[in-house]
Amino acid sequence: MNALAEELRRLVGDAHVLARPTQLLVYRSDALPGLQRDPGLAVFPGTREELIAVVRVLAAHGAPFVTRGAGTGLSGGALADGITLLGVHRLKRIIDIDPVARTATVEPGVVNALLTKAAAPHGLHYAPDPSSQTACTIGGNIAENAGGPHCLKYGVTLDHVVRATIALPDGEVLTLDRGDHGGYDLLGAFVGSEGCFGVVVDVTVRLMPDPEAVITLLADFTSVRAAADATSLIVAAGILPAALELMDRPTIEAVESSIYAAGYPRDAAAVLLVEVDGPAAGLDDDAAAVERLCRESGARDVRVARDPAERARLWQGRKKAFGAMGRISPHLVVQDAVVPRSRLAELLDSIAAIGEKHRVRICNVFHAGDGNLHPNIPYDAHDADESARVHAAMREIMATCIAAGGTITGEHGVGLDKLEYMEQLFTADTLDAMCSLRDVFDPARRANPGKTVPVRSCREWHAAVSARSVAGA
Amino acid sequence: MTRDNWTFDFPRPADGDLPRTAAEAASVVRDAIDAQQGLRLAGSGTWLEAGHPVRARRTMSMRLMAGITSYNPADLTLTCGAGTTLAELKEATRAHGQWCPLAPPGFDLVNTIGATAAAAVEGPYAATFGRPRSLVLGLECVDGTGRIIAAGGRVVKNVAGFDLTRTMIGAWGTLGAITQVHLRLRALPAATECWSVRVDRGDRTRLDAYLRGPLAPLACMKAVPPVQLPPREDEWHMVQIGGNTAFVAASRAALRAVGETVPQHETALDALAGLHRPPARALQWRWDALSLRLRDRFDPHHILNPGLLGEPA
Repeated sequence: MNALAEELRRLVGDAHVLARPTQLLVYRSDALPGLQRDPGLAVFPGTREELIAVVRVLAAHGAPFVTRGAGTGLSGGALADGITLLGVHRLKRIIDIDPVARTATVEPGVVNALLTKAAAPHGLHYAPDPSSQTACTIGGNIAENAGGPHCLKYGVTLDHVVRATIALPDGEVLTLDRGDHGGYDLLGAFVGSEGCFGVVVDVTVRLMPDPEAVITLLADFTSVRAAADATSLIVAAGILPAALELMDRPTIEAVESSIYAAGYPRDAAAVLLVEVDGPAAGLDDDAAAVERLCRESGARDVRVARDPAERARLWQGRKKAFGAMGRISPHLVVQDAVVPRSRLAELLDSIAAIGEKHRVRICNVFHAGDGNLHPNIPYDAHDADESARVHAAMREIMATCIAAGGTITGEHGVGLDKLEYMEQLFTADTLDAMCSLRDVFDPARRANPGKTVPVRSCREWHAAVSARSVAGA
Repeated sequence: MTRDNWTFDFPRPADGDLPRTAAEAASVVRDAIDAQQGLRLAGSGTWLEAGHPVRARRTMSMRLMAGITSYNPADLTLTCGAGTTLAELKEATRAHGQWCPLAPPGFDLVNTIGATAAAAVEGPYAATFGRPRSLVLGLECVDGTGRIIAAGGRVVKNVAGFDLTRTMIGAWGTLGAITQVHLRLRALPAATECWSVRVDRGDRTRLDAYLRGPLAPLACMKAVPPVQLPPREDEWHMVQIGGNTAFVAASRAALRAVGETVPQHETALDALAGLHRPPARALQWRWDALSLRLRDRFDPHHILNPGLLGEPA
């Protein structure tokens, strides 16, 4: 490690290589409290050339590493267990914005919301909007194939990535695209590979024109079931809102008691935050249809945001809901599962029953229109009994979502947190094929080792390692 | 469809090479590995000249792996066999006010969903409603080692594990023979209208502004004369407008400001799309080290469509 650290210091300067445990302390977790690993070393290149050089030095040393953006991930994916942490947050240059082609080329450390801010003068924005968008980086978004409320209409990160220059873990630099001119969809394989396939050097993303008009509605329900039913009705009616978010009473309470108070009705069992956007022509009709379907499902009231300020306030409450939960307890499990949208009501009932059984408090705040649940459990990780109950409840919730035909993560990734569920979700052949795909990009398995796919699922792992050591000799 | 209907001049699939399940397809692949034989993969077998000549004397057709296995309209998702035709999908979904907006070149009656996904061919609605790469939520396939891979899932958002779905789509079967797909459907617009619009050749400014603006249609295609005509001053584009009635009226008004318009039958643009030639991606394949490694990992014996993409032998 010392020789590696010395070489990295020569590359990026002393100030940008951390090796003392006290300095590394802040990198021991991501935004998911409860999982902690201590990196052995951290390096923060400041330019494209430095980034590539760092990857090559790591390769020369055969050193495993974990790439990290802003550390806002929610799956433990950016944790380095005794190995090198490669932080890209200093690479924050917006290289180019092309308002005609409606694309932007950026370095991986550019903060999501700052890209939209830079595109705003052109009437454009970057559509994927994870709740952490004021901090999270585009590089991290690529690694996780990040989503966000507005992905319901506009699609997830992959739908907005045109091209990426990447460094493979062995140091080779190449450009990936979707294969539209004749080639495999290597970019499609890379986006969402959780840092296991290589490092983004720069990326070209699509920018969307700002909608001509936006209408934001808040519907107030006396039962969670009614709010879920309204969601299913809106989806089935063929209306495609820009966003369709559900928050239940514990979440509303947390938000309204915090500095992010948004004016949600405190006595509601659940609220739906629905946004329709697009051309002004016909938009009122869509909003009216949403309001009617909400009322038919039993909404007490449907309120329309009168101005941009009120709209921003309604959204702030939603986007800062996780932060607001920090008032309730020292730790929080943020879960992420997807279920068929027609079964939301039934599954929310099951989740509530699981919470009661294990005596844990569950706050639901999620992308209802996609069926993307976020059942969150505030707890105290230092209370062993409570921690055990929280984890038992989580396992039961995941099993319930899988049994309903759903999946274990819609946007947060598998990382370390969800590894144990992969074998419940995928067959042995499928997991083995995922290992094959990883081997295409990183045969040495040095990039983010031990994440995303359980190592024991890879049949050829030992064979591959021994073959490589022969070939590399 | 029985074997007697095969009229194409490629090797007819033997009875055993018309699998009805992924397990049967896997056994065909394993058999081909043992025999060191290449396998040409086909759907209906209507599009055989898409790439380089396939080095195979044996054909595996997915045509009998047809039919919708699950469809819950309220979820706007559907699962079907790879041999299901787009016409079958259209009929089943239209009854619920939904559709699978792929409309690739060719004819719905023979175009199969498996071939559409394998070639990632897209139609005129791709920009509005998505293309195979985004509308296929998951799929089942048999790779060149005989593994049955169940990639992705049936729900509309999913980042669990590495993305084998995206890897398979557009790979022309050379990484895996697709046996089943899980699709995202879209709601049919409440109202649609089809128009032809005339624009001056060399001045598409107003048309482009319309297509990039908020009142943009669902799709626009240039109408191509069937025979070479003397140069003309103008060209015609076919435009499909869709949305709620207020939007359609506003978009129609905007289109009229672009140029002279002529109303068309609502299926005219779809028919035009069917006649278009898809891009010759399979002929222009780019083989770099990464792509070769990918091929070798999923089809190490080069059993699946060998030669189609012009890979180094």
